[in-house]
Amino acid sequence: MNARLDSFSYDDDIVRKFLWATMIWGLVGFLVGLIIAIQLPVPGLNIAPLLTFGRLRPLHTNAVIFAFAGNAWFTGAYYSSQRLLKTRMWSDGLSKFHFWGWQAIIVAAALTLPLGITQSKEYAELEWPIDIAIAVVWVAFAINYFVTLTRRRERHIYVAIWFYIASIITVAILHIFNNLSVPAGAFKSYSIYAGVQDAFMQWWYGHNAVAFFLTTPFLGLMYYFMPKAADRPVFSYKLSILHFWTLVFLYIWAGPHHLHYTALPDWASTLGMLFSVMLWMPSWGGMVNGLLTLRGAWHKVADDPILKFFVVAVTAYGMSTFEGPMLSIKSVNALAHYTDWIIAHVHTGALGWNGFLTFGMVYWLAPRLFQTEMHSKGLVNLHFWLASFGILLYVVAIYSAGATQGLMWRAFDETGRLQYPDFVETVIRLMPMYWVRVAGGLLYISGMVVGIYNVYKTWAARPAAYEVLVVKAAPLSEAPADRHAPAVGGLWTRFASAQWHRKWEGMPLFFSVMTAVAVIVASLFEIIPTFLIKSNVPTIASVKPYAPLELAGRDIYQREGCFNCHSQMVRPLTYETERYGDYSKPGESVYDHPFLWGSRRIGPDLAREGGKYPDLWHVRHMYNPREVTQKSIMPAYPQLQINIIDFAVIQKHVDAMAMIGVPYGDAVNRAPEMAKAQAAQVAASIEAAGGPKGLGDKEIVALTAYLQRLGRDIKNASGTAQHSTPTIKPIAFNASGGSR
Amino acid sequence: MADNDNDRLLEHSYDGIQEFDNPLPTWWKWIFYATILVVPLYMWDPLGIGVGPGKVKAYEQQMAALNAAHPKATAAYTDDQVAAFAKDPARVAAGKVVFTTYCAACHRPDGGGLIGPNLTDDFWLHGGRPSEIIKTVSEGVLAKGMPNWGKVLKPDQVEDAVAYVQTLHGTNPANPKEPQGARY
Repeated sequence: MNARLDSFSYDDDIVRKFLWATMIWGLVGFLVGLIIAIQLPVPGLNIAPLLTFGRLRPLHTNAVIFAFAGNAWFTGAYYSSQRLLKTRMWSDGLSKFHFWGWQAIIVAAALTLPLGITQSKEYAELEWPIDIAIAVVWVAFAINYFVTLTRRRERHIYVAIWFYIASIITVAILHIFNNLSVPAGAFKSYSIYAGVQDAFMQWWYGHNAVAFFLTTPFLGLMYYFMPKAADRPVFSYKLSILHFWTLVFLYIWAGPHHLHYTALPDWASTLGMLFSVMLWMPSWGGMVNGLLTLRGAWHKVADDPILKFFVVAVTAYGMSTFEGPMLSIKSVNALAHYTDWIIAHVHTGALGWNGFLTFGMVYWLAPRLFQTEMHSKGLVNLHFWLASFGILLYVVAIYSAGATQGLMWRAFDETGRLQYPDFVETVIRLMPMYWVRVAGGLLYISGMVVGIYNVYKTWAARPAAYEVLVVKAAPLSEAPADRHAPAVGGLWTRFASAQWHRKWEGMPLFFSVMTAVAVIVASLFEIIPTFLIKSNVPTIASVKPYAPLELAGRDIYQREGCFNCHSQMVRPLTYETERYGDYSKPGESVYDHPFLWGSRRIGPDLAREGGKYPDLWHVRHMYNPREVTQKSIMPAYPQLQINIIDFAVIQKHVDAMAMIGVPYGDAVNRAPEMAKAQAAQVAASIEAAGGPKGLGDKEIVALTAYLQRLGRDIKNASGTAQHSTPTIKPIAFNASGGSR
Repeated sequence: MADNDNDRLLEHSYDGIQEFDNPLPTWWKWIFYATILVVPLYMWDPLGIGVGPGKVKAYEQQMAALNAAHPKATAAYTDDQVAAFAKDPARVAAGKVVFTTYCAACHRPDGGGLIGPNLTDDFWLHGGRPSEIIKTVSEGVLAKGMPNWGKVLKPDQVEDAVAYVQTLHGTNPANPKEPQGARY
């Protein structure tokens, strides 16, 4: 043994900071969730313009994923990595930059999302300046982390570190490639991808955000905190290796299962499904290793609320990673997609797996970080039971809601007609279940309040000054000390002995590169065809770019978050085409930057909305939906009749679209004039029908023009056009950004 | 105490965490192999529950089957049939509910007209014969903004609503919309 020992200490201050951020943002994220859960049965609680469901729902998802779960991961990663690597973080300054940068991004999200500033891609809603900030903060985190790895005093890296590495690398890749967009103003951008391509990229990102932000980092946390809390060795090292690599490699492919039966090509959908099915056991590897680590410690579980949290977390993980592959099977997905079933599925994961693992970790850390006894073990138990019953009520109600609505949508009566042709019937049926969800959410949140109180009281009892523990450890020896006997036997024996992996564990940078290779190779198998898709998309001659006014309407549609409740994607299923009209073709969304296919139908699909109702219907419906559809739960948007269209900015938006290849022709020179002319036309039709006068420069006219355009082009192709849309003469794509 | 005290501990330890050298659980391994086996089975599709003809072809087959099982009724309503609906008080009562829920938003609860035309006067945009009224309701006149109610309502509900509409004729509500269309 080396005689010289280094003396050093761990940076626990940063861990304390992240721990508080986790608890506070967690409460905020859950509260916003509760508010939007109540807004569904009580639409009057939508306070336009800032606090409507469409604007708050992204705030809820972003707060829970990036603020709550993100900070929880950082808490655990900073605590465990330093100890597992026997070194302090390389730069306290970068750690602090990571902390404050991340919190600033969360605040920016909390301000911009209610203001309607959004890219309208799920979990990637934040606009481009914030996206750049995320990338900068992430790179700082990564640099700090990887330099720390090189300064470690432990030769081999433990499985928790593998998972952290995979998460840091993959999140960076996902974030950058999904958010590529062309700015059209300080807080507005258009995705460089369109339609099918954009959908593909978005769900490659969306699915893997679940994988590499909510799954792998938390598996890393589990591998540290569970054996620590149970004081038991991890069940199987070999299982760790196998499930890590299979998980990292297979997860990447699974994204397209979010797009079954859409305009996405069949091959991609099939690929997504098959890889999801194969992902079942790699996911369960983590559960098995977690639960079997408790062998010989089960008697402690009854007694220790921290272990109880962990057991429920790992069980919830097991349930949702069984359900995921099941939902990826096309025929199951046909029923569940667009319904609350998916909402229930993600809440099993978020409330159960991420939430409970976080709570267990926080309670394990609090006395250690605050260097005192936990204030009350009874309150930890109380939190556990409140949150457990909360989850139970939540998911039982919302699974039932999902199954109910999915079955109602597809029911035919004996005459071959839809059993429930009126969409709103399938919505009001869910109201009792929505109230049960509210009750479940309330329980879960009260648990969180108890938790914050308990942690606060523990913190209040901290010593006047924290004792800084001085750790002594030998520095890393120059030569990798591979004390294992040289591998013997055939190829398979040597492979199965896992000694090659042991070597990799001694070379963290090489390990990181291999992880990146696994992720990138798997991604390229899907992304290369994605870029070729452009030529695969059957172009439909009658599909034209949105007229400038319609584009402005589409911006409003995005701003109000309409896509959170309305899909624009009719699937080729008998009960869908009976309800909505012809199924959506890939060529219809070639100018949709970004795509707005949606993922949930709280209201009906709008892909074929154009021409179904007169203009005045839309004006009245936006003003107060219940005036037109008595039982509607849609928020009212009266301000759309007051807000003035910003005609001047339309030119910028058209130009940005032209820059990414939308053949805007004439409109790149006179977008505002064209928009004004069309607005006057729509306003005249509204007035002629007996509607309000003087709407010619109001936002409602732009939104109406957009809605009336949806699905028209393909009808025009079949020669049934009855509504005049200003035609845009396409020009050839000009790489320099238009013909000005 | 525990059954796993005989498991071999690996020599390494990270911050006090140790690992066993246990093999992969057999059931885990076999289910994993089975899910991999799903790939060729799905693509080769010997059982006919796999990849199939693709979503569009499958849809066309299902649609054809649906249409074959339920040939669309071709017989149009006769004027007498539709006029008889209005004589049935049960239908008129049910029709009033349908009218209030779906039609009143545009035609006003009293039928005096709003976005849609006045239904109480003698003038009709798309024909005032009973058979014409029911055709307008169930097929819609999209260009004029009349939705295709046959898609949203059941045939019974359409018949009831038309029964009720016929009883509105001549009720002279206050502030009616000006007459539109041709006299019937």
